[in-house]
This record gives sequence, C-alpha cells and structure tokens, in this order.
Amino acid sequence: MSPLLRRASLRHLRSHPAQIGLSVLGIALGVAVALAVGLATESARRAFELATEAVTGRATHQIVGGPGGLPEDLYRTIRLDLAVPRAAPVVAVDVALPDHPGRVMQLMGVDPFAETPFRPHLAGEDPLRTVSALLTRPGAMLMSGPAARELGLSPGATLVVRVMGVRRPLVLVGTFEPADSLSMQALDSVLVIDIATAQEVAGFRGRLSRIDLMIGYRPVDRVLLERVRQALPPGVELVRAGAQAGATASMTAAFTLNLRALSLLALVVGMFLIYNTMTFSVVQRRTLLGTLRALGVTRGEVFGLVALEALMIGAVGTLLGIGLGLGLAQGLLHLVTRTINDLYFALSVRDVHLTPVALLEGVALGLGTTLLAALAPAREATGIRPREALLRSRLEAASRRAAPRAALGGLALGALGLVLLLVPNGPVWGFAGLFALLMGTALVTPLAVTVMLRALDVPIAHAGGLLGRMAARGITAALSRTGVAIAALMIAVSATIGVGIMIASFREAVVRWLEGTLRADVYVSPPSLIGSRPDSTLDPALIQRLVTTAGVGAAGTARGVTVASPRGPVHVVAIGVAAGQPPGFTFKRGRPEAVWAALERGWVIVSEPFAYRHRVGVEDAVRLRTDQGEQRFRIAGIFYDYGSSAGVVMMSRSTYERHWVDRGVSSVALYAAPGTDLPTLIGALRARAAEGSAGAEVLIRSNRALREASLEIFDRTFAVTRVLRFLIVVVAFVGVLSALMALQLERVREMGLARALGLTPGQVWGVVTAQTGLIGLVAGLLAMPVGVLLAGVLVFVINRRSFGWTMPIDVRPDILLQGLLLAVAAAVLAGAYPAARMARAAPADALHDE
Amino acid sequence: MLLPAVELRGLTKHYREGDSERTVLRDVNATLWLGEIAVFVGRSGSGKSTLLNLISGIDRPSAGSVLVNGTDLTTLDERARTLFRREHIGFVFQFFNLVPLLTVEENLLLPLDLLGRNDARGRLRAAELLDRVGLADRARAYPDRLSGGEQQRVAVARALVHDPALVLADEPTGNLDAETAKVVVELLDQLVRELGKTVVMATHSAEVVGSADRVFLVQHGQLAEQRGETGR
Repeated sequence: MSPLLRRASLRHLRSHPAQIGLSVLGIALGVAVALAVGLATESARRAFELATEAVTGRATHQIVGGPGGLPEDLYRTIRLDLAVPRAAPVVAVDVALPDHPGRVMQLMGVDPFAETPFRPHLAGEDPLRTVSALLTRPGAMLMSGPAARELGLSPGATLVVRVMGVRRPLVLVGTFEPADSLSMQALDSVLVIDIATAQEVAGFRGRLSRIDLMIGYRPVDRVLLERVRQALPPGVELVRAGAQAGATASMTAAFTLNLRALSLLALVVGMFLIYNTMTFSVVQRRTLLGTLRALGVTRGEVFGLVALEALMIGAVGTLLGIGLGLGLAQGLLHLVTRTINDLYFALSVRDVHLTPVALLEGVALGLGTTLLAALAPAREATGIRPREALLRSRLEAASRRAAPRAALGGLALGALGLVLLLVPNGPVWGFAGLFALLMGTALVTPLAVTVMLRALDVPIAHAGGLLGRMAARGITAALSRTGVAIAALMIAVSATIGVGIMIASFREAVVRWLEGTLRADVYVSPPSLIGSRPDSTLDPALIQRLVTTAGVGAAGTARGVTVASPRGPVHVVAIGVAAGQPPGFTFKRGRPEAVWAALERGWVIVSEPFAYRHRVGVEDAVRLRTDQGEQRFRIAGIFYDYGSSAGVVMMSRSTYERHWVDRGVSSVALYAAPGTDLPTLIGALRARAAEGSAGAEVLIRSNRALREASLEIFDRTFAVTRVLRFLIVVVAFVGVLSALMALQLERVREMGLARALGLTPGQVWGVVTAQTGLIGLVAGLLAMPVGVLLAGVLVFVINRRSFGWTMPIDVRPDILLQGLLLAVAAAVLAGAYPAARMARAAPADALHDE
Repeated sequence: MLLPAVELRGLTKHYREGDSERTVLRDVNATLWLGEIAVFVGRSGSGKSTLLNLISGIDRPSAGSVLVNGTDLTTLDERARTLFRREHIGFVFQFFNLVPLLTVEENLLLPLDLLGRNDARGRLRAAELLDRVGLADRARAYPDRLSGGEQQRVAVARALVHDPALVLADEPTGNLDAETAKVVVELLDQLVRELGKTVVMATHSAEVVGSADRVFLVQHGQLAEQRGETGR
C-alpha cells in the first residue's frame, strides 16, 4: 500500500480522537474482561495443579482409600513385607487460619525419615535440625519462607489453625525456600508437620490419608506394582500420582466455561463498537474513497486501508486491554477462588499467573474481533464506485431498504441458534447457539426500530410537536448508524436482563428448595473452612449431649464425604433420618414413600445434577469405591438439589456404615419437642455444647439462620457473574456513547441549519436529547423480549447442560423495568455531550462547510 | 500524422431503473486525436458524465468498446482497469476532491506514490507543477486552507503530475466564479498544450467550450460534433 495512503489513514485516526478513543476503550474493555476471566480461572486451575504437584512431589503412584483413609498397618506391609524401597505415608487435611479469615491451608503430616526422596524441597535449609525439631517439639511445623513472612511469623512463633472445629496452636520451627515463584505459589499454602501430630490433629489415629510410592517403569517395577496391588485390602486402590487431582479439577469445568462465555459477551458488545466506528469512518469518507478509486487506488488497497485502520485501533485497544485485564484478573481471582471454595474444593490462590498462551489468546481475541468487525465496513468501502459522491440520503435509503433483508437474515441466524440450542449436545454448542440467537436479534433490530418508530410517530408528534417528530425521524433517517447503536445497546441490556432473570429464578428456586429441605428447627455443624461444604466432623460426645438436651424432640444426622468412583470423585451424603421426620426432599423421579423404603434396603437417591452428569435414572446403579471394594448401589429416586453442581448421592446412615468404616457425623438436625420455645432451646444447646468440649467450635443455628447463611453463599457465588454483568453494561455504554457522538456530530450541519431557521440552543439540545432518549427507549423495549428469551436459554438450556439443574423461570417485572431504565439512562447520558456541543455550535460555523 | 487517443466504437449504455431500462448512450462512435482538447456539452442528465466514466474505465458499456491509446478497456477486468487508470489517466473533478488529510504537496505526490514513482525526480516534477499553477508557497498547507480556485489549480496539477496520456475533467469550473474559472481554464489549456496531453471535458461553461479544439453535443443518447475537425 502506498505510504502516502497509510499516512492519510493515520491522520484520519488522529483527527478523530474521541471517536477512535472510545473504540479503543471498547475493545480494551472487551479484551480486559475476556482476558481477566481467562487468567483468573486459569490461575485457579494452575494453582490447584501446582499445589497438587508440590505435595505429590516425585511420587509416581499413590495408595488411596475412602473417606476414612487407610489403615496405618498397610504402610508397614508395603515397606517391610513387600520391600518397596521408596514409600512415604501422608496424612493431609485442609485447615483454616482463624486469625487470617478466608485463608485455607493444607496441613500435611509426613514421616521425616521416609520423606526426603519424595519432597526434598520441604526439608528446609538444615534438614537434620528440621527433622529433629519436627519429631521432638510438640506441634512443630514447617512452612514456606515467603508465606511465613507474609503471615508475619518468625521461627518460634505460633500459628493457630482450626481443624475439625478445634483450634490448634502450631509452632514454626523452620522454613523451606521455594526455588522459583511458581513453586512459591504452590507451597504457599502447605504446612508440614510430623505424621503422628497430624493423625492426632485430624482425628486420623491409626490411619493415613494415602501412601506415596516411587516405583519406576522397568519390568521388575511392574512386577512390584502388581504385588502391591494384590496386597491391598478392599476399598483401597493404587492410582497414578495426580490422577485424582485431575478429576477434582474437572469439577469446575462447567463453572469456568460459563464465566468464559459471559466474558465473551463483553467482547461481542465491544465488537459492535469497532463495527460502528469503522462503518462510520467509511461513510464519512465515501467521497474521498471514491476520489481515491478514480485516481487508481484498487479495491484491494481500499480494503487494506480500512483493515489497517481497524488493526491499529485493535492493536492499541488490545495492548490497553491486556494491561487492564491483568489488573481486573487480580480482582476477579478473589471472586473466582471464593466461589470454587464455596462450591468445589479448598483452594488458595494469591497471584494471577500470566502465561504466554493467555497473552496470545488476548491478542488473538482483540485483533481477531477487530478484524471481524471491520470486515463488513471494509467490504462496503471497496464497493464505493470511483468518483461516487453518493448522497447520504441515498445511502440511508439503501440502509432502510436493506433492513428487511437483514431482518430475514437475522431470523435465519436466530433459527440456526435455536436449532443449536435444541439439539442435545454440550454446553459449548449451547453457547454457540446463544450467540447466533443474539446476533440474529441484532440483525432484526433496524427493521424493528423502523416499525416501532412508525407506530410511535403520532404519539410523538402529539407530545413533542414538529421538534419531537424531527428527533424521531432523525433515528430512521440515519438508520445505518442508529441501527448498530441500538442493536449494541439492546444486546447489552438484554444480557443484563437475561442474566438478572436467570439469577433471580435460580435464587427463587434455591429459596423454595431450602424451605422444603430444611425442616428441622436447629442445625448443628462444625465451622467449615470457608464455604458450605461440611469438611469436618462433630465430636460424638457432643452429639450425645445435644440430642439429650431438654426440649429436643427428634434428631437426624448427615455425613458428607467425597468418595472415589470409576467416574471420578463423588459427593456422598449419608443421612440418619429422625424418627417420624422424613426429610423434605422434592423428587423429580420416584414416589417419596417407595423411595424412603428403598433407601432402608440399601438403595440410594441421586440429585438432579448427578443424574444429568452421569446419565443415570431410577433403577440404574451407581458404582462407588467403598471400604469393601467397589460396590453397586441402585437408584431409587432423583431429587431436586441446588446445593452442588457436581451432584450428590444420598444413602441411609445404615447403608453407609455397612460399607465404610468412617463413623463421623458432619451435621445434626434437631427437631424441637412440641411447645418448646426455640430461642430458649438454642440457648440451652449452646450451653450444653460448651460443657466439656476441648475448645471445639460448633455452629448452632436456627432454621432461619442456616437458610440465610445458605443464601448468602448463593449470593456470593454469583458475585462474579454480577461483576461481569456490570462490565458488559460498561462496554455497552462506551459503545452507545461512541455511536451517538458519531451520529450527532455528523449532524452538526443539519442542526446549524435548524439554528439558522430560529431554533434556540435549548431547543437544539432538546431535540438531540429527545432523540438519544428515544434510542434508549427503543433499545430498552427491544431488550425486554430478547432478555426474557436469553433468560429462558440460560435457565432451560445452558444451566441444564452445564450443571443439570432445572428450575422454573421467574420473569420479574422489576428486572425488566430496570433494564428499560438502564437503556434510557445510558443513552441519555451518552447523548449529553453531543447535545451540549451541538447546542453551543454557532450556526454560521455549522453551515460553513461545503 | 494524427494518432487516435480515444476511440469509441458502437458505445451503448443502459441503466436499470426498477423494472425498466433507460438508455443513456446508443451506438456512439467517435475518435479523439492525440493532443486535442475535446469538450462534451449537453443538458444535465444527457450522459456527459457517463461518457467520461466509460472513457476512464470507471464504468463498463452495455455494448461497444472504448480504446484508450490502443487499449480496449472493455476487455480488462476491474482491477486491470483501475491500474490502467492509475497510470494513463488524470482526473479533475467539479468539487476539487483533494484528499483533506494530505498536504497540497502530498496530494500532488499521491498519483506518483501509487505508481511507485515518489522519488527525487517525482518530487521535483511535483514542485515544478506546483510552481506552474502558482502555489509553490502553499505546498505544506492542507486543502481546507485553500480557496476554491486554489484547490482546483492543485487538482489540475495533480491530474498532470504522473504524466498521463489523457486528462478527464468533469465540470472543472462548475464550482467556481467566472473570474476564477477563467484562470483555471487558461491554466489547464496552457499546460495540456505545452505537455501535449489529450483532454476530454464535460462542461456547461462557455469559457471551457471556448478553449476546445472540438465540441460534441450529447443529446438523446447520441454524440453530435458541433465544432471540430470539420468546423475549425
């Protein structure tokens, strides 16, 4: 391309700083949101992986058991009888740091003598001294140097951890220095103690969490592995190191996919912005491009010119977006980690991990989106005939004529989207369908705008007179510009309506579910590490004291554990039903009476997401690894459950105790005897709990308090969704501001004429503001049905495909109204500057131009 | 010996208007010779601009052929016609049509730049031409700082800077007052004759007609020579 053309191009960009600046900002925000979500979820995944690697060390295989772990004797068998030279016993448990709220660490009990070959990095600077300190000093603990410094601990200092509801002081006797920043992050949340202390602290007396092995891949090693496998008791398994971690990490796949999709929505809105800017810059320069064509500039060169301009905007926007994204990722990381902690597993991530791949992805997204958005305007530019000084009015007439064709195309695209949504396949196709549907509605927008404004013509004239009409007709007269602006605003507002309705519907379903499920009057549980997951047990003596407290009529128990299955870890809940108080589950499949009877016979019930994810139904079987080996459990019913997206298998307490040695109780549900005053009972229970307990913390909550706490966690898990929803609106606002500015500044001459004819600056301001307000109104009105459609897709298709949840949709009028107000407010606010500028413009200046 | 610069053979052009077809030119035949100034006159909508578009290869005839310097433009595809125009044709428009983002000097250099001839020689030629049109001191100015007459003088210089065989001008004085128009026409006349260029203009202006070697009336889709080979 001619250097002079490139120079002209650059000058064009420089001479429209506001227009170009907004486009850059739009693409930057889009890239920032997409990159930030990608980085945050990826950092969480990577942190999990690193943490696993750090604690797995050089182990090649692991011997693992059920929730109760492995018998300690097995280690002796492996080491002595089978003569496996490199084996290390491990007791691992997640602990909370009560003095550092929200911080979770992994307490890892190891045998210092067996340990060194596996995790040499944990030995510290002076291994001998460390080993002796670990073995001789009660509560001795090692941690990474950076983490100790962060927590303000020096050797000899005490760190209090809470495990199984009990506060335990640990003494820092040494630190290990990670080799690099990656391992520093991974080892940040590991506390190393002697295995005997860990067994005592974690309530694992005589038992181990796992045994790590280092066995090579020579034929003789394979023989040894086989011998180990044969020596294992039922319910204990030999797995490759890291195999379990992968299955655990995959639980968050649907959650992260949903976030990614929402973040891409921000980029789609940003794409509209680029499209708008580039189309506008082409329309603005039709005569110039026509002249260039007459001077011998080829179509390809014109295309290249427009594409190059877009690329420059995209490049600057992408760079800026990457910078913004890094900052935003740090903020989102906190929300993402908290949700993962609340819903899936304990995870501590502090820093965003920037990978070249993520960076490249950001660049590709930014530049790709820009080029894609510039494709149509660039093609339009090549279609400009040499010498063509097509009148703007003719262009707009052509746009209006094209509107029905675009609408038809939009309907076709929407139909394709619906087909993609209705054909049962994975969530990725669901999202593709959703985007097709959204783009389809965007294409229908120009026609819908024309039809709506035609219908509104008379009322507008009635209310606003000729000036009102002028404002309204200005919208259809500049449909090539307004159509895009309205479509972008409509998409953004419908996204907020759709996501809003989805969250509200979900919340409503959760509220009803909690009301139905939580029937007891008082719930007792140990404080969980962070979220709602029952990760520790109650002291049996405490339970005994509580159920025998005066005023307690009946008591039920629940034990939640994660057990292995051929298809990854499964959350199992064993319930001890209180006499005469059947749990208040609502069944999707199965009659309650039959189900409860079957449960006593050893059958299980599964939650709706579990049935969906594992493709199982009533009468099918679930295979679980029990302490007696792998067992099949027949399914008696499927119940509604919004507590876990991974799904739950529920069985009776007696069935659980038949198959597992674990006798722990995670929570107790107490029913007040008739006529008992609830606050008095809770007071009495708290007093009984305090008696004789060795500092164990326990949460005694009323039905209502538990329900509120559950909803609080629900709201927390949707915090990240809400942030994304807000960011989409911000991008849309920038888009509308850019489109309206371009549109109105283009009409300076027209308004100059109006001023020359006698309109006051106030009237000009009024016309422009009325017009932008109308644009907002039209976009808001169109966003309502599209938003409901979007909510329907999110609730009935995406949520179902991602998580397996079904729920009734709750179209709340206040959310619709909020969307409408948001659209009008955004448009009016975005129109304020151009309106003020046009009102101030001197008529002579406006008319001066040729 | 007279050499043909432009040959129009059986040139016909229809435009589709809704369901019907409007014929703007019907079986037009003419030959314009190297170095002469030919002018098309006629009422608005008679087809003058269409003829210029066909001669420049911007538009394609419905039938017939257009030969410029022996090249049949109707046999070339769009890209080839564009490249041909880039090299062999200079344009002067009614509304000057300078590139507002380039300075006067850069506007002159643009055709050379597109041809890859924006070198020291090209810049010297641009400077000379700018001097000839009396705007050497405005080389660094942007077009919006120039008067209409000045802009059109720049446009004339730009049309000649790459040494095209043919200069096309569509109402070159249509947007100028009589006094300024006279200056521009004189300048164009002087320069093209000096450089031996063939010029084809469409105009309403008596001033322009006065400077022409041959005048054609475009009427009812036909080309009737009013003054020229026979009348001069």
